[in-house]
Amino acid sequence: MMIKNRLNLAVWFWAAISALVLCSPAWGAGIVASTSFGEDNEIIVEFRTPVEVAIAGEAQRYRVFEETDPDILLPVTEVEVADDGTRATLRFADPLNTTSAHVVNAQGIGGLESTTFTVSKSYLGYLLTVLISALLIKNFVFTKYLGLCVFFGTSKRKETAKGMGVVFTIVVVVAVSMSWVLYQYVLKPFHLDYLQIVVFIGLTSLTVQAVDTVLRKVNPVLFKSFGVFLVLVIANCVVIAVPLLMASNEYNYFETLMLSLGAGGGFLLALYLMSSVRERVELARVPEPFKGLPIAFIVAGQFAMAFLGFSGLQLF
Amino acid sequence: MATDKNSLQLVTNGILQENPIFKLALSMCPAVGISTTVVNGLMLGIAVLFVQVFSSVTISLIKDFIHPRIRIPTYTLTIATWVTVIDLTLAAYFPAAYAQMGIFVKIIVAFAIITMRLEMFACKESVPASFWDGLGMGLGFLVGMVVIGFVRELLGSGAIFGYDVLGFKPLLFFILPSAGFFVVGLMMGFFNWIEASYAKRGKK
Amino acid sequence: MKDIISIIFRLTLSCIVAGLIMGGTFIFTDRAKKANEHAREEKVMYSLLGHDEGGEDPESMAMHELFRYIVTDGEEQFIGYLLPLSTGFEFITIGLDGSFVSRVPVQLSETQVLESGERDTAIAAALGPTKTIRFADQTLVVTDDGERSAFLLSGKFPGYKTSIAIILALAPDFSIIGFEVMEHEEDPGLGADIERDFFRRQFENKSFESIKALRTIKEPLPQEYFDALEGRIAEEEAAAAIMEKYRLQDIYALTGATISTDAVVMGIKAMTKKFAYRIETLDAVLADQQIAASF
Repeated sequence: MMIKNRLNLAVWFWAAISALVLCSPAWGAGIVASTSFGEDNEIIVEFRTPVEVAIAGEAQRYRVFEETDPDILLPVTEVEVADDGTRATLRFADPLNTTSAHVVNAQGIGGLESTTFTVSKSYLGYLLTVLISALLIKNFVFTKYLGLCVFFGTSKRKETAKGMGVVFTIVVVVAVSMSWVLYQYVLKPFHLDYLQIVVFIGLTSLTVQAVDTVLRKVNPVLFKSFGVFLVLVIANCVVIAVPLLMASNEYNYFETLMLSLGAGGGFLLALYLMSSVRERVELARVPEPFKGLPIAFIVAGQFAMAFLGFSGLQLF
Repeated sequence: MATDKNSLQLVTNGILQENPIFKLALSMCPAVGISTTVVNGLMLGIAVLFVQVFSSVTISLIKDFIHPRIRIPTYTLTIATWVTVIDLTLAAYFPAAYAQMGIFVKIIVAFAIITMRLEMFACKESVPASFWDGLGMGLGFLVGMVVIGFVRELLGSGAIFGYDVLGFKPLLFFILPSAGFFVVGLMMGFFNWIEASYAKRGKK
Repeated sequence: MKDIISIIFRLTLSCIVAGLIMGGTFIFTDRAKKANEHAREEKVMYSLLGHDEGGEDPESMAMHELFRYIVTDGEEQFIGYLLPLSTGFEFITIGLDGSFVSRVPVQLSETQVLESGERDTAIAAALGPTKTIRFADQTLVVTDDGERSAFLLSGKFPGYKTSIAIILALAPDFSIIGFEVMEHEEDPGLGADIERDFFRRQFENKSFESIKALRTIKEPLPQEYFDALEGRIAEEEAAAAIMEKYRLQDIYALTGATISTDAVVMGIKAMTKKFAYRIETLDAVLADQQIAASF
């Protein structure tokens, strides 16, 4: 029952984030309502009030550059304006580097002498990319090959798989949040980067101990079913890989949160998929020497190949 | 309690009877992740050997000093210290090999096998016995990694230690990342089969 | 109570000892790490320039560091270069349209200029308080007898998995001398082949014109070209003839790693185009203002 509630919660959380991304507020100064990247060599501009189609369609009125390279102008080859004048599509000779922000300066559009606006990917979309990436594209178990001992140990039954996944997610989110604070405000300013390993593993042990104590006092019933998994969390390499990744990518807090949620969710997903298969494999006629772990490894290999299909996935 | 095994038995125990990769099925992540070449396997094997031996000896030395209630945190601290030492050393003196191993050196800190040996062996036994036990376990891991690396490198890129021996690539599939699972699974099955057929012959 | 004190005491002592061991190792290895990194970079640079045998660089050869900054003054942005002159260092500010803005001398010694912190403070002091600077990149200009013989550029661009860092060597006419991959995390057997000779050497001697239009082609690499690239053809003339035949061709994609190939092709294309534009702008300003840089 508890797990079902959690799953429901997760679904709601996802829905809320998607809604936020989809109707990200149309902000921007002056006549420009919103901007976005279209095809790989396109910038799409929506105007608040219709502009004159003939004027807005002149390519030489636009000066576009990447924010980091203000001296290199990207040549606009063609501008296509919708008939009602509310939308212009700027096309470029080469594909744009959509990871960096682009600055567009338009001369004489919509009666204004000059307007400047930036085009960048939506930040919420980027956060969601971090989450999806950790969850599927760079799934820690199937594409980074981490946390395997615990993965094979607890994926025999669906019940244990779910329990382990949920406990792991909670611990990872708490521990990585603390690691972020300590890394940003202690390790980095004092150049103690080499203490990363000790600090991150220490914080994880601390979190495990804290969750253990709190759960034992607050909800002994829950502790009875989940307590055993707490010990296993510490032996899971993912728990140390996530903060290390956070540190090397210099993520901010929200990105860190998304990364740890994705890592936990990805582990839960991997465990659930694997346990579903292993429950059935047990009934199948497997050659004697391959019973147990060997066949589990081969199944995991097939999952890993399937997960390769997610690579290159771009949603936002 | 002192162990009744001599040093040779302790070492072979780690390599054969209780091989961490093929028998105990612990510390599987690097066996799957970076065992694409013999050199990679060897380097990580050496790193694990170093951490295992030094941690075992350290814990064995200070076993009377450790307060029983903070046993596990002390183990973690010891392992983390030695992992940091080997991590910094490899990064400084073997940058090319270190780049190949990526995050896996740091991840040794979460290897169940090391903590397990400390808890089961080093905290009860004498220093020399712990040394031999650590050496055996580390060597067992190293041998496992090298064997997997050998198979993958030979079949995947037709080479050993980077030298082209076959002149062609039999199955590129074997050095692709996801093939690690298949190689380990097949090898485990293979060893089980050999063991089973020996046992059968023994009965007859 | 006695128990707690004992635990705290023992834990603290363990932590101090562990900290001492780690700190000691860090101090010990940090210097070696930096020296090794520097040595590796230098080795790559020399091998790109073709001086790898013996490691001796000719007497006449000299290297000059050129640092590029982005200068912000209120709303306006400028490009700034820290130039080595025969008399010392000077900071040249250029407008975005390539017009000369200002030149100020910067007080720096040859060794200080390599330390990013000291360099930034010296430039900021020379420019005055209204302007802020942001470091953009650095280029090594190689001269031989006072004539430019090559440019060495370090660059980083997104690959298939993480970013790919390279050092690119360009000739004075912006044709490619060669490049070396410094860092990458592409898949072994697939994208990791960007390090191999048969991929890297496809870029060699491509003219600036062909780089501007460089693309990836999804066709198998011809066997004779592969042999020539890997240096498996014994007769030098035959190898050179094959290399010449394919010299201005597009880049053959690595099997199963088109995205990695594309990333490298696009990355090198962008680096070369941007650099050529910038150095031409800078040269025009230097000629116009009669500034004698040491390269």
